[in-house]
Amino acid sequence: MNNNDPLLDLLLEFFDLPADTRPEDIRQQLVPSWDSLAMVQLITELERKFVVNFDIDAIQRLRSYDEIRDALVGEPSP
Amino acid sequence: MALGAPILTLTQVKTVNLIRQWINSFPDVQKDAILQAFESASLPKIRRALRLLEELGQEQRGPGLDVELLSTYNLEPLLPVLSLAMNCLPSRACPRLAPLDSIETHMAQPARSHAQGVFGARMIIWRIEEVLPEALYPFSHGFPKRLAASVDQLLDRIERVVTLHRRNSPGTPLFLSTMPLPLNLANPVAAAQHCAGPYASVSRVNQKIYEVAGRGVGVHVLDLASWAAFEGETYADAMVDFLARQPLSAKGQVSFALFIARCLRPLIVPRRKVLALDLDNTLWGGVVGEDGVNGLKLGHEFPGNVHLRIQRELLELRHRGVLLVLLSKNNEADARQPFESLLGMILKWTDFAVRKINWNHKHENLREAARELGLGLDSFAFLDDSDYEREQMRQVMPEVLILNHSSDPLQTLRALWETDAFDSLVVTEEDRGRHRDYTFREAREVEGHKDDLEVFLKSLEMEAAMEEVGPSNVERVVTMLGKTNQFNLTTHRHSRGHVETMLASPGSIALALRLRDKFGDQGIIAVLLAVRGDNAATLVIDSFLVSCRALGRGVEDALWAAMLRRALRQDVQRIEAAYIPTAKNSIVAGLYDRLGLRRIGHNSGSTCYLLEPVTFVESPPWIALMNENQ
Repeated sequence: MNNNDPLLDLLLEFFDLPADTRPEDIRQQLVPSWDSLAMVQLITELERKFVVNFDIDAIQRLRSYDEIRDALVGEPSP
Repeated sequence: MALGAPILTLTQVKTVNLIRQWINSFPDVQKDAILQAFESASLPKIRRALRLLEELGQEQRGPGLDVELLSTYNLEPLLPVLSLAMNCLPSRACPRLAPLDSIETHMAQPARSHAQGVFGARMIIWRIEEVLPEALYPFSHGFPKRLAASVDQLLDRIERVVTLHRRNSPGTPLFLSTMPLPLNLANPVAAAQHCAGPYASVSRVNQKIYEVAGRGVGVHVLDLASWAAFEGETYADAMVDFLARQPLSAKGQVSFALFIARCLRPLIVPRRKVLALDLDNTLWGGVVGEDGVNGLKLGHEFPGNVHLRIQRELLELRHRGVLLVLLSKNNEADARQPFESLLGMILKWTDFAVRKINWNHKHENLREAARELGLGLDSFAFLDDSDYEREQMRQVMPEVLILNHSSDPLQTLRALWETDAFDSLVVTEEDRGRHRDYTFREAREVEGHKDDLEVFLKSLEMEAAMEEVGPSNVERVVTMLGKTNQFNLTTHRHSRGHVETMLASPGSIALALRLRDKFGDQGIIAVLLAVRGDNAATLVIDSFLVSCRALGRGVEDALWAAMLRRALRQDVQRIEAAYIPTAKNSIVAGLYDRLGLRRIGHNSGSTCYLLEPVTFVESPPWIALMNENQ
């Protein structure tokens, strides 16, 4: 577990990924179990864990570690 | 980014407390994982808890439970938490989802049949947003007349669904959900102003569901309308609803799953039959032996009103069939005084089936009460304001469920409100008359000392009616199969579906004995189920049981004779039977020997018996048979 990065910990645990997975490799295209069902469950999980409510725009961009991180800190991805 | 775990709603806290009791027999690793999963509502933790449960043996995990979920919204994301909640009952639960919006299509097929020891259930979970969307926009849909007509159509649909289920899957319990008020509704003030408005329309639909379930035909209510009202709007998440047609928030998902599990629990876990309780600082405030009757607090002022409410709750339990037992360290004369002269007393001295008022240990008195009632310790719940008494009971008798956890009377009252120990889906006439039956039994036992046994039994003026098991009594038969521990030769806990399958098998004999005596109608108190063996001339006794309310009267002999009479008419040549010992049924260890069967061997701990040739035996002369051709 990476105590300095709770988002990374959450994604590793949620998708059952190896602990040494690099954040840039956590993308929907590269994680086979990241389907539409997992997407819904992930949103609920993120909202629970980080006490946030995503807006419609943010939800459409939650496709990778980077995009989720940006949505959580309120900065849109470029 | 902010980090935080959600604070559980009060409803969830209460339910998680119940879960602790449900999973009490699990090892600590599983217990901790389950509690963490529910408290965090985290999906990875839920998955982990499920994985850990898979590691347990079948016996630790409880009976199989096959639940079919038919829904108008998307429950797929909730399957892990639903599965975990149902596994905590405890059971080896396997929730299955039917395709979305396919209620009638799916119900046209028979529900899956289940092996012995596996319970089945079907749940229909629907909401107004899908089944009556017009109600959200009444003025766009011809309010009031056309909207009222749409509601009428939905009421007809509910009837059709129940008919479909009864026709195709009569043995499977059906749970119909009620419908929460729509949360996302513009102009809620106007919505409440007309009897054909949105809120009244939802109310009509729910009323129909309550009415259908009240007919007592294996249809039960999953009251999601009440659940949603208790939860408040935190249960919902409009964004996820739009995204995936799944309306529940993370908090809502846990609460929803636990609520569903609690509603299923009475199918597989019998309720506690007895509540043993204290007097002082429970039924009234104060200690009668020290404060005197005039110093006790009971009435409409605080804090006497808390004790008054406790008494009302206890009386309601007694009328629902829970026996009350008084355990008090007092002088009996002191203890009786408030029942005779304290103003405002709701409970009467005679509302207690057994009273143990002395200076003995309470666990000793409880054991004595259990013996007198003919019930096991695991039929008992215990309520006491003393930390010492509760702790001693917990240590000496771990089978007894301790309901309250502090000396505070309000906490005692909350314990009565929140416990699931007395949950049941059906309250039968037998339940409602149980206190009376035990009181009569006490009277009978007193009379029984007057004369020899047979003279006494004759004096009871017993009349037995043999009923073929069928739609009118199968509910009671299934209840007895689920609850009877002592006089039960095989302790087969069959589901209603399994019993109905047996009834449908050619050559089966299924009898229920209804007993009446000079004290009143005792209801169905004995059951015998038998099916044909591999050879058509062989009858195999599947279940043979007598309610503990009717032990020692010879009703088992009358029922056995009635079965033999039918078997001989059907040319049965041999009867096979087995005694399967449990921790509680040693009372019937020698029954088949007494009835003249021959021991032919042992099989996995059970003793196998054979009766060949089959010959008729007389019914006991002290029981009149009402509908038997001799």
